[in-house]
Amino acid sequence: MPRPRPSSPYSARSPSPMFTLPQKESRKPTTCPGSVSTRGLHSIYGDGLEREAARKPDQKLLYGVGDPTAMFSSDSPHLSSRGSIIKWFWDSAEEGYRTYHMDEYDEDKNPGGIINLGTSENKLCFDLLSRRLSHSDMLRVEPSLLQYPDWRGHLFLREEVASFLSFYCKSPAPLKPENVVVLNGCASLFSALATVLCEVGEAFLIPAPYYGAITQHVYLYGNVRLVCVYLDSEVTGLETHPFQLTVDKLEMALQGAISEGVKVKGLILINPQNPLGDIYSPGELREYLEFAKRHALHVMVDEVYMLSVFEESVGYRSVLSLEGLPDPQKTHVMWATSKDFGMSGLRFGTLYTENQDVATAVASLCRYHGLSGFVQYQMAQLLRDRDWINQVYLPENHARLKAAHTYVSEELRALGVPFLSHGAGFFIWVDLRKFLPEATFEEERLLWRRFLENKVLLSFGKAFECKEPGWFRLVFSDKAHRLRLGMQRIRQVLEGKSQVAEDPPSCQTQEPRGPHR
Amino acid sequence: MSENMDRGSSQPDEAHMSIQSRSNPSDIPHMSDGQVWDQASRNHSIHTCLMEMVLSLQQAVADHITQLATRHQQQDLVPEEQGHNQPIWGQEALLGRLMFQMVNHLQFGATGGQKFQPPCPSEDSKGDVRSREQAQVSKQIYKIFYQLTNFEDTSINYVLSNRGVETSALYHGSFQDYNTYQGNKYHEDKNTSGFINLGTSENKLCTDLLTERLSRSDMNYIDDDLLQYSDWRGQPFLREEVAQFLTYYCKAPAPLDPENVVVLNGCSSVFSALATVLCDPGEAFLVPTPTYSDFVFSAHLYAKVDLVPVDLESQVSDANTHPFQLTVDKLEQALLNAKLEGKKVRGLVLINPQNPLGHIYSQDSLMEYLEFAKKHSLHVIIDEIYMLSVFDESITFRSVLSMESLPDPNKTHMIWGTSKDFGISGFRFGTLYTHNKEVALAMSSFGYLHGISGITQYKLHRLLQDREWIDNVYLPTNHSRLQEAHRFITNELKSSKIPFLSHGSGLYVWISLRKYLDPCTFEEELLLHRRFLDKKLILSCGKTFMCKEPGWFRLVFAATPLLLKHAMQRFYTVLVEQEQDWVVKQLEDAINQEVEDLPASDASQSYSREVILTSGLEGCCSDLGL
Repeated sequence: MPRPRPSSPYSARSPSPMFTLPQKESRKPTTCPGSVSTRGLHSIYGDGLEREAARKPDQKLLYGVGDPTAMFSSDSPHLSSRGSIIKWFWDSAEEGYRTYHMDEYDEDKNPGGIINLGTSENKLCFDLLSRRLSHSDMLRVEPSLLQYPDWRGHLFLREEVASFLSFYCKSPAPLKPENVVVLNGCASLFSALATVLCEVGEAFLIPAPYYGAITQHVYLYGNVRLVCVYLDSEVTGLETHPFQLTVDKLEMALQGAISEGVKVKGLILINPQNPLGDIYSPGELREYLEFAKRHALHVMVDEVYMLSVFEESVGYRSVLSLEGLPDPQKTHVMWATSKDFGMSGLRFGTLYTENQDVATAVASLCRYHGLSGFVQYQMAQLLRDRDWINQVYLPENHARLKAAHTYVSEELRALGVPFLSHGAGFFIWVDLRKFLPEATFEEERLLWRRFLENKVLLSFGKAFECKEPGWFRLVFSDKAHRLRLGMQRIRQVLEGKSQVAEDPPSCQTQEPRGPHR
Repeated sequence: MSENMDRGSSQPDEAHMSIQSRSNPSDIPHMSDGQVWDQASRNHSIHTCLMEMVLSLQQAVADHITQLATRHQQQDLVPEEQGHNQPIWGQEALLGRLMFQMVNHLQFGATGGQKFQPPCPSEDSKGDVRSREQAQVSKQIYKIFYQLTNFEDTSINYVLSNRGVETSALYHGSFQDYNTYQGNKYHEDKNTSGFINLGTSENKLCTDLLTERLSRSDMNYIDDDLLQYSDWRGQPFLREEVAQFLTYYCKAPAPLDPENVVVLNGCSSVFSALATVLCDPGEAFLVPTPTYSDFVFSAHLYAKVDLVPVDLESQVSDANTHPFQLTVDKLEQALLNAKLEGKKVRGLVLINPQNPLGHIYSQDSLMEYLEFAKKHSLHVIIDEIYMLSVFDESITFRSVLSMESLPDPNKTHMIWGTSKDFGISGFRFGTLYTHNKEVALAMSSFGYLHGISGITQYKLHRLLQDREWIDNVYLPTNHSRLQEAHRFITNELKSSKIPFLSHGSGLYVWISLRKYLDPCTFEEELLLHRRFLDKKLILSCGKTFMCKEPGWFRLVFAATPLLLKHAMQRFYTVLVEQEQDWVVKQLEDAINQEVEDLPASDASQSYSREVILTSGLEGCCSDLGL
């Protein structure tokens, strides 16, 4: 039953202009460094529409699921306008992931299944973790763990987090438990921060390429947008490395956003960066923080890979290690166990902020982002066990990451494929531009599809809002046999490219989106 | 400096004076807020508080002006020096904060003062509707104030968004005393003078059983899958278990489909996400009141959905065969009124068994409500979180999932969780069952934000799977303990002639203390609530359930007999005091009347007055028979 659209912020952003207008322009690769594109939540997914437009009608049926126009030409009788958008998010975001789940590789049961080198998970240390989590100290059941918690997180856990971060972030002074808020993952944290720092429709700056799921996290409840600060692979002027973030680029993006009437409230930095694997030096970090301070922006520093720096020479520095932050009241640090402890399924994330207003506001949303008392207890036990972390887990994890990284990078070199990697994170940022007949996102997607047809799942650059077509993120933190098979399949596609290209796309193929976590 | 604050000076002037000399303005937001005024408001009336605030505000303004004058002079000399802005900045923040607090007090002063009403202790009572309006007004003032004082476009930017400020205000308003409670809980050996919480609806009668069950070795399984990202709707094994569990305990006519199950971290999360996908901001749900106030919270905080109350009355009449009866007429009326006010109503929220009334809807009434919803094409959200806490065997609870044919299955959504029925609110588990695949999928997007740990999902799966333990051990024991506690409380209430409603389900009784209120207003209700708090007893007052009539309280009885006994002692003490005060007030009024009539004769006057008062008190005590 059709119903009138309410006069809400959502109706103002009615779907059609949303999905077409902003994109046509911003989607063109531009050579201007730091060009700005103000992104609604959808623009990252919006190329579905472009593709749709480019597609011949007879092929259209093959891609019904990720079609935003179909979604919005008919109003859902059961969902609100935003509910429809949210559902569309799910449909487009999860289909790729579900395709993988329907045909997951298994050494014994499904050796012809899909190898997932797209999801950023560390699958190298489950043996260590399972053993540790099965220790008897993990199994305590106390009545207080069964009851309503302090919504900031149990005090025993917040104390442990503060002491853990003090130690591993090398903070100049001990960090305080009252500045810690514990919730069920960094996705929740992005959602809560977006809500308490921004009004509806306001924005955060984010250097792109970036971990694309943030778009959804800040939108779902917060209805906050992301303004991309585009980085590119070409090294120009004073730059020293590809995709370098500079204050100039930040300034230009910010001014661009302002000129379009977008109110920017903060800057999101991911350090170590995902998908680039870049690490910001203390000097750079300070420049970005000073930039933010000049413009009274909040800075959210996502350090979820901080202990996954497996190359010791890299010299990673947490923002919490800096003496005299430019604007401590507006610097908010995020960390979680998903990556560094390879437990994305555990749903544990934490905020560290000296700003009690922010901590309190986030905590007041924590009734929606709580985690079980048991898990809080187990996390406290885990984080407390420095001996195990320092002597068992980290050395072993780093050694395994390094071995896997070495293997994959050698394979890529042998293939003559350029890539970026800095000894941090679980992924390599691979340059497959020369394998695209044309530098378009359409071609990028076609290549991605060939990989999937050859049963290896990667993430393509578009999903990270990379403005140059042809970049892929390849996750290497997987067991040797899967990695070998995965690389073999990649090699087949790259070497036998022309042959595969002649095959029409399979109707089973779904759109990729989800795995880029 | 902060130590000074922490000691909680009851002299705001002094406290604020010390703040002004702070060098770091960013400390300002942490200051005083809670401690000073909490302390102050415990000792003084709301008016005294306000007076003190005005005085300290006056002082702050004076200081500020002095500073400004000084700064202008200094700026002429050293225009670039940033450091001079710091104390000014701090003072501006302080002024803003003071204004903010005063507005809080003024808003609540009208009805007894916010600090007099810490709804916090009750898990359910965090959503005083009024605090919303209060937050909005105060944040506007906060904002206006900053605009006024923001004479230069320097660094004065309040940190939070408007909705952030509002969220924080709600938190401050409702969690402060809950934290006090957390820090000073009653313990039968260690802390007999701590707070007894009969406000939060938690079942603490079976922690022994749960602890034992959850400690068994089958719970401690760890698998790679549990540590990785899973299906965001919930692990398939858990959704299958939930579907089977609900099929069995809700007596569904056909097996329920795991694809229709969404698993999130708590019913608040389920409700919040559901409100978001069903309504656009500003749209509304109908909700019969009194109602579980968390929904007011959850509808508002993230989702920005309004609740339109369907006010129920305690008075029994032709149209109202039992107290607080929900009828289709009332629903129709409320819907019509909402429409007239231009509200777009998208659904109806029902809680069955009802919280706080303890009602159970008969199948016929339920069908009527569902038909009503269908007629107006409204969604129906049914919260059945107490479905296994029906401890009176003579009562038949029928889940909406047991109905043979739902009027509008695509718009009927059922919520359940383990918090109440298994007394494990700390587990954070809630589930939605909906026949509407579209809604289920839209909800799935929220798995990112409301996800449950794989380890927890596994434990829940084991728990729900163990029918033998549930049917033979847990449920019988839980029901008999609930029954026993319920019998104790209801006998107590009967013997002291306190009217109450209870229907053999839930963890609480809904009691009427109207006769202790004079006049019977929400202001007096809050004062009484405050009195309970002073005696370290936490109850939830009716206002927080959006009850239309002042004087109702919800009392949670799912606690150990010893705790209940202590609680009831405190309860009676407060009621006695309340009556004494009433008598004193009556006498004072009478005496004042006399004083006006009589010629002045001070000595004898004050003497005789004292005598009268004392005898009055005795009389009052004997009246109550305590």
